[in-house]
Amino acid sequence: MIDWAPIILTTKLALVTTIVLLIISIPLAYWLAYSKSRIKPIVETLVSMPLVLPPTVLGFYLLMAFSPGNSFGSWLQDVFGIRLIFSFSGLVIGSVIYSLPFMVGPIQSGLSGLPNSLQEASYVLGKSKLKTLFSVLLPNIKPSLLTGLVLAFAHTVGEFGVVLMIGGNIPEKTKVVSIAIYDEVEALNYSNANMYSLLLFIITFIILLFVYLINGGYLKRFWK
Amino acid sequence: MLKAIFIKFQNFKFNVFIIILLVVSGCKQPKRNVIRIAAAANMQYAIEEISNAFTEKTGVSCELVVSSSGKLTAQIIEGAPYDIFVSANMKYPNEIYKNELALEAPKVYAYGQLVLWSMYQEMEPSLEMLTNDTIVHIAIANPKTAPYGQAAIELLKKSNVYDLVEEKLVYGESISQTNQFITSKSSEIGFTAMSVVLSAKMKDKGGWILLNKKEYTPIEQGAVIIKRENQDSTNSRKFYKFLFSKEAREILEDFGYLVAE
Repeated sequence: MIDWAPIILTTKLALVTTIVLLIISIPLAYWLAYSKSRIKPIVETLVSMPLVLPPTVLGFYLLMAFSPGNSFGSWLQDVFGIRLIFSFSGLVIGSVIYSLPFMVGPIQSGLSGLPNSLQEASYVLGKSKLKTLFSVLLPNIKPSLLTGLVLAFAHTVGEFGVVLMIGGNIPEKTKVVSIAIYDEVEALNYSNANMYSLLLFIITFIILLFVYLINGGYLKRFWK
Repeated sequence: MLKAIFIKFQNFKFNVFIIILLVVSGCKQPKRNVIRIAAAANMQYAIEEISNAFTEKTGVSCELVVSSSGKLTAQIIEGAPYDIFVSANMKYPNEIYKNELALEAPKVYAYGQLVLWSMYQEMEPSLEMLTNDTIVHIAIANPKTAPYGQAAIELLKKSNVYDLVEEKLVYGESISQTNQFITSKSSEIGFTAMSVVLSAKMKDKGGWILLNKKEYTPIEQGAVIIKRENQDSTNSRKFYKFLFSKEAREILEDFGYLVAE
């Protein structure tokens, strides 16, 4: 029988990452959608970089940054007493960076796609920017929000390279499913690897199907 | 919009991939004076030297693929195009032999030795210090796939500290990643192969101690010639013979391996 700990850990990691991402991404996407700042293209590029960069690049730099042998890592340890390398929090930070474009992208394009009149009407009625964002804009881009949430979750579930480099493969702390699969294949336990893989396959299939059903309007009556 | 970019990018990547594939396959001659050696990560530095000596002697060049023995075995069983497999144990070469993928039964070419290694200058590595609070992480190779990891676990258990330090263990996918955890100072200390700390690249880096080899089952490192269809095995046999020659044994000894008399 397979060990369920990696699956529980992966779910936990993906959930925490998605929540953190949602909190970060709404202001970031809002700024990217409406700002006319000169540094916007640079920020946009940085946010999209994890799409094209090999995860190993990210993993390598995080490893360097988190290591207590380096200035940033030792500073974290001395000042806050935390060590991010080989820890769950380290994985969350890695995953947040790694999945950032999957959350920011859909929200940003959702906001850009809204007619300006919506926002203007709200302002004319005396609503603040914050109130407009939460009561007018966000409710109108529910499908984009859902896409962002689900993609970020699914992308974190599928994360491998970053975790491999900064995780240290510790059971119940950093050994996620993708690593467990890699491990089992290496140890020639193909049946276990198959069990994990099949589970991931089914989970991601269900998640994505769910998004396409909702965004395609097939489940419209549940999403109002 | 994001999706459109994705698709465009994937197509682009795919096209580049096809072009590279065509170029590469066009370059490769069917008759090659090259052998491809799959070597366990602990042999990384020693095998380089051995293959250089071999190339100098015979004119046959060597391509090295370095990874954990377990992963290489999985690859070979799935038909990876390697000529020689230089493992970190006997289990995996035997597995390959049992699958009828080897030309003959594997033989032990060396015995590996385990060391405890740290990059922190102020530390003098010792088994006793592992239980100290100053040691947060101890790097070892994944015991499921790396024989040096297995040996390390065995040694910790025999020394009665395993239960005390289990929480501190971090697992490298092979001895290479374990080395990387140690050299990047991500973990304070770790178990690795003597061949690593004696290599030109790592010499004089940090401090290490050789561990008592009575505390773990000898790490019998075996090698096999892989059966390749439609390929001449002359060069592979030559290398295999060279691996057991006096010259190669001297190199192995320089790297801290023990060789049978």
